[in-house]
Amino acid sequence: MQNKEIHITGTLVWYYYICHREVWFMGRQIVPDQDNPNIDIGRFIGENAYSRESKKEIAVGNSRFDIIRNKEGHLVISEIKKSSKFKDSARMQLAFYLSELETLGITARGELLFPEEKRKETIVLDDKLRAHLEQARRDILRIMYLPVPPPAQKKSLCKNCAYAELCWA
Amino acid sequence: MEKTIYIFSSGELKRKGNTLYFETEENRKYIPVEDTGEIMIFGEVDINKKLLEFLSQKEILMHYFNYNGYYMGTFYPREHLNSGYMILKQSEYYMDEKKRLELARQFVIGAGKNIRQVLKYYNNRDCDLEDGLKRIEEIFTSMPEIITINQLMALEGNMREQYYKCFDTITQNQDFVFEERSRRPPRNYMNTLVSFGNTLMYTTVLSEIYKTHLDPRIGFLHATNFRRFSLNLDVAEIFKPIIIDRLIFSLIRKNMVTKKDFDKNTEGIMLKDKAKQVFVQQMDEKLKVTIKHRELGRHVSYRRLIRLELYKLAKHLIDEKKYEPFIANW
Repeated sequence: MQNKEIHITGTLVWYYYICHREVWFMGRQIVPDQDNPNIDIGRFIGENAYSRESKKEIAVGNSRFDIIRNKEGHLVISEIKKSSKFKDSARMQLAFYLSELETLGITARGELLFPEEKRKETIVLDDKLRAHLEQARRDILRIMYLPVPPPAQKKSLCKNCAYAELCWA
Repeated sequence: MEKTIYIFSSGELKRKGNTLYFETEENRKYIPVEDTGEIMIFGEVDINKKLLEFLSQKEILMHYFNYNGYYMGTFYPREHLNSGYMILKQSEYYMDEKKRLELARQFVIGAGKNIRQVLKYYNNRDCDLEDGLKRIEEIFTSMPEIITINQLMALEGNMREQYYKCFDTITQNQDFVFEERSRRPPRNYMNTLVSFGNTLMYTTVLSEIYKTHLDPRIGFLHATNFRRFSLNLDVAEIFKPIIIDRLIFSLIRKNMVTKKDFDKNTEGIMLKDKAKQVFVQQMDEKLKVTIKHRELGRHVSYRRLIRLELYKLAKHLIDEKKYEPFIANW
């Protein structure tokens, strides 16, 4: 892979905390099985939840925000998730978006939204998160440069994963 | 699972709101689009651009067959799964003679072992196929000496010839004597069934390839000639014996297809519509049959097995795991 093709995205950060193999595949635009019903469910929730918000799916650089809005003078970006099962993952994905904005000189707050659970969580970028992110960034690059994907490891996650058939075929 | 829609009658297929709508003189029918995986068109069907746009958006393939049941072509929506990385890898394995041969050999091995499985099955039932099995084993023993694609093609041809010689013993039906493989046009009933079945197999594999990152134009056993699909022909080799040939044997042995189901015309001997419908219906049911996949821990249908085969191929191409063909063990 050529250097210029490599850029870390929020999605890769999300996958990094779930499965390194997915990072490798995603980094090469090898997408999971689109027939998997969970993919439809996720897309549906993303498209239909918070339908009163008008500004949706805003792209800034390599990031795509689900919702971006102004709350009492503060910029708030939101990420919609199907469930809080991978909360840590979601937290880091959002932290990544916040840090991308920061490099553009924009200060923002983050909000994780779990419409199915009627819950939300606020994320503020602090030094601890920044340090975690930096480490993740470096490790994601390392994974993407591997000549072959990291070996598949059977976890409970594989049960519903849309990559499972590629991994275990 | 997404359905395959087969259309044998003449009429108009169009988009109506967010669904598909098929209208004939006597009949009108809504076809739920989210449920549809591919459309196989055998009848005279009118379409318009709005429909193509809709199919493209929903990533549905539409395969066309002419009046005689020959494959004509596919409306293949603009590619939606794009990975430049995978295309480069696939090309690399095609361009490198050694790598190409290694893969091509696996397709022939897969075809051969599945052929053997089919023969063994009937040999254990009521047919004496010992001789045929022995001849195929013999041809197989020269596999390690093969060093070029042409030699491999020749071996595959020999193997298939010996296999076809067993057909008459299996069918036990004078009307369906095989003689030799003839196509375009097929000269007897058996050849007509084989041609029709293989055509269905090729299009089914093509539909599955569309759902992966592989490019159907780059085959390994069947040379890429840059204008038609060939990877589907490669992968179909593995599944033809266990899906199509078994289906044909059972259609004949159960008298579900008889000589009354054929027409003679200038194009050779052709299947009548009713028999084509019986064939595709049986094929459809066969593709839905599931088996338990050990590695995966899931039940997978025959159709899914085809997809898994493509995933295995993808893993070979990204240098992760050597491709080994699926071999039926019953």
